[in-house]
Amino acid sequence: MLIAPSLLLACGVIGYPFYEIVRLSLSEVSRFGQIRGFAGWDNFIRVATDPIFVDALIRTLVWTVTVVGGTILLSVPVALVLREDFFGRGLARTIIMLPWSIALSMAAIVWLWAFNADYGMINATLRQWGILAQPLQWMARPETAFPVEVAIGIIVSIPFTVTILLGGLSSIPGEIYEAARIDGARPWQSFAFMTLPMLRPFMNIAIVLNVIHVFNSFSIIWVMTQGGPDNRTHILVTYLYELSFYLGRPGPAAVVSLVVLAIVFSATAVYMWLREREG
Amino acid sequence: MRQGWTWLAGAFTALAMVMPAKAETVRMTVSFYSAQTGPYYEKMAEEFHKANPSIDVKIEVVNWANLLQKLQTDISGGTNADLSIIGTRWLLDFVKDGIAEPLDPLMAPGFKERFIGPFIKPGTIGGKTYGLPVAASARAMFYNKAMLAKAGFPNGPKTWDEVIAAAEKIKADGGNGFGLMAKGTEVDVYLYYALWTHGGEVLDANQKAAFNSPAGVKALTMYKMMLDKGLTEAAPTNYTRDELQALFKQGRLGMMITGPFLMNQIAKEAPTLEYGVLPVPVGTNPATYAVTDSIVMFANSKVKTAAMKWLDFLFTPAPRIAFTKGEGFLPTTIEEAKDPAFTENERLKVFVSLLPNARFAPTVTGWEDTAKAVTDAVQSVYLGTSTPEAELNAAAAKANQSLGK
Amino acid sequence: MSRFWRSVLSWAVLSPLVVTTILPFAVMISTALKPHAEVLSYPPTWLPQHWAWENFAEMWEAVGFGQAAFNSVLIAVSATVLALLIAVPAAYAMSRLPMRGKGAYRQFLLVTQMLSPILLVLGLYRMVASIPFGDATMADTRLGVVIVYAAYHLAFAVWMLASYFSTIPSDLEEAAWIDGASRARAVISVFLPLALPAIAVTGIVTFVASWNEFTVALTLLRDPSRLTLPLKVVNLVAGRYSVEWNQVMAATLLATLPVAVVFTLLQRYLVTGLTLGAVK
Repeated sequence: MLIAPSLLLACGVIGYPFYEIVRLSLSEVSRFGQIRGFAGWDNFIRVATDPIFVDALIRTLVWTVTVVGGTILLSVPVALVLREDFFGRGLARTIIMLPWSIALSMAAIVWLWAFNADYGMINATLRQWGILAQPLQWMARPETAFPVEVAIGIIVSIPFTVTILLGGLSSIPGEIYEAARIDGARPWQSFAFMTLPMLRPFMNIAIVLNVIHVFNSFSIIWVMTQGGPDNRTHILVTYLYELSFYLGRPGPAAVVSLVVLAIVFSATAVYMWLREREG
Repeated sequence: MRQGWTWLAGAFTALAMVMPAKAETVRMTVSFYSAQTGPYYEKMAEEFHKANPSIDVKIEVVNWANLLQKLQTDISGGTNADLSIIGTRWLLDFVKDGIAEPLDPLMAPGFKERFIGPFIKPGTIGGKTYGLPVAASARAMFYNKAMLAKAGFPNGPKTWDEVIAAAEKIKADGGNGFGLMAKGTEVDVYLYYALWTHGGEVLDANQKAAFNSPAGVKALTMYKMMLDKGLTEAAPTNYTRDELQALFKQGRLGMMITGPFLMNQIAKEAPTLEYGVLPVPVGTNPATYAVTDSIVMFANSKVKTAAMKWLDFLFTPAPRIAFTKGEGFLPTTIEEAKDPAFTENERLKVFVSLLPNARFAPTVTGWEDTAKAVTDAVQSVYLGTSTPEAELNAAAAKANQSLGK
Repeated sequence: MSRFWRSVLSWAVLSPLVVTTILPFAVMISTALKPHAEVLSYPPTWLPQHWAWENFAEMWEAVGFGQAAFNSVLIAVSATVLALLIAVPAAYAMSRLPMRGKGAYRQFLLVTQMLSPILLVLGLYRMVASIPFGDATMADTRLGVVIVYAAYHLAFAVWMLASYFSTIPSDLEEAAWIDGASRARAVISVFLPLALPAIAVTGIVTFVASWNEFTVALTLLRDPSRLTLPLKVVNLVAGRYSVEWNQVMAATLLATLPVAVVFTLLQRYLVTGLTLGAVK
């Protein structure tokens, strides 16, 4: 009874659009979303044989793994440092949390501007320091544009991750370190055999939530490169957005949506299964 | 007597109270051209309402970047406005879906004759008028007079060979010669300038991709050569049309091809810049690109007569002149074209003079996919991943799939 | 190691991240205070030669910042309240009452978390446009946006709240029953005060997510007087021939500031609140 409203709302707002996606994916749909007829598997075949889709699929995996991996790799040491007692810790924590407060769409705009080749402060500063002779055209080539996007993806994911890890660290009692030290354990040993294992559940949840967010992350790439140049920064969500709203192909876009759903769904299922197995 | 007056006053009050309820509201989706677009339409709506108190016009301004998405969601949700500005290239899909209302039965006698022939033509499908040209532009080459004078072309380059020669001089002085755009919309069109002027076509008579012809390969090879020799700005894949225009306004770019709206921007933002306007450089023949945006009426509108009345007003000379002048477009009606603002503007005349050689985007479904395929090919060549010929052939195969050939 | 050296070392380790974190804010402030001509000067400088405080006033006018901020606050607050009203009972049920299919419910919630609104844009709009509201439909109403936001954030809210609630010992409530209080009364007078911190944290996270949301608002809202701040800011950039970067940055800065302040003040509570909710 108490959970009924939540079920109802979630089912309605998520379920109906989901039904729409399935319907569109099986239909021949016009540029303006009018269904012209049943298309069978045409849209699926079209997408499966589309080299841009295959590239975007692979890039999505690269994007997710590097952004989430980078986030975790950076967040663990940052959280460890932020747990220490030092001058200005409150300030440091506040600064690290700051990216959380900017809307992703706005953050992407600010970064795009910072990386602007002619008027951006990043090129200007690098040139001032004599690192660059000529302005670097960051967004002109996928080889530079994509890593920049990954880096920004990491930066905006850190606050949430660090918050969760900090909470995890605070649940580890300080006495066990003391005991370990008396037993002659070196700092790296107490990290590897005590901190890490106790942090595991927190890292797991951070990974799962980050994977979901990063996989679906749209703003950074769309604002900065729209998947270009030459489609070489597209991930699935940006590609399906382009398909639907720039190329006017809602049918194939719905198929890509289903693929995205299937992937996230199976990832979560695997997580659930692991969780259950661990008890 | 006194009672009579009271009665009359009461009747008027009653009438006044009834009127708003009876008033019809015409909703119009307007695409964002510049900061003036919204205020212009609001002002026109107000003027129109004064003359026609029973009709309210409600304007909603949408960015081009979101326009297709808004139309798509609105139409599929059945909440679309009564009128909308659209890219004329979408019109065919509108007509096929039965979303657009043919305007001929609603038009007053002589209305259609107000328009300039070539501009109303793309809005006519199957002999019926669906789209009224609200904005039109053609493309020409802007050049920085100081830079080009220094490079030995005080009157600007007329041919591609001269463009290359001038760009080489400008490069020797450490400047950016010719602006190449390879980001955002119209990357494909930027290639077509060179393609058309070398005698090529985008699609052949059967609506099949033809841009991979020798002329197309030549055009792309030429651009790529200019890029490799440093005759362009550093990284075209980082420059949209707007960003090139920004360079030009700052006097940091020698030449670029774009529409008449840049003149308005220069007048406002860089009034001291000395520049000239010339036809698109010639290879073997002159050519340019012309494009219109159209107003369409939705078939599910419940206020078609009122909407048509508003359209009739919009396409009278005074509102037209204000719009076209304010946004920096080309006149689309015969009467407005006679205004001194257009006839006495030497630079604008260049654009008008190009119209006989202008190509319009053909009304085919799949034009957007063709544009995308060509854009990808251009970017890939500029990034050095492949050769012009291979890329254009691959793009042609893709385009043909979308064109249904 | 003395506290001094530990501080030096800590800051040294954090410095790269601190710098990259502050960088966008520095860019925002720097550009927001430059006059238009200086924004596009080449090469650019960090400090403006001429301080253009008027950018803020101009932006306020151009964006209609006041109205947009009002819309954002209204929508975010309503969505938060609605989400909490639905999530608190659901979470209570999950943590206190014996229930069949609890696991399935949890998984269902996680699944709803996975759907990016980008995937659902068309369907969402169709659905909202088919619900009658007044003499029109829910499309282009702030209420429509509120409901969708509440639905989206529900999963996270229930998840967090339920985990936190299960850490509140039930003895106290049981004691209240013995004293003759009804179940509902026990919940209100004993349970809710204890749950307040968690509810607050959940509320903040929901509020910030709603405040920053873009895609759903873009899809559902039309009337310029109903648009939210992110829409207005992105509108300043997307599809414009010349972007007034100083105004964009001024708007971003002003839109970000309130959230940044909230985060600064509540940073400590967030850490404890989020972890409890997320893991247990």
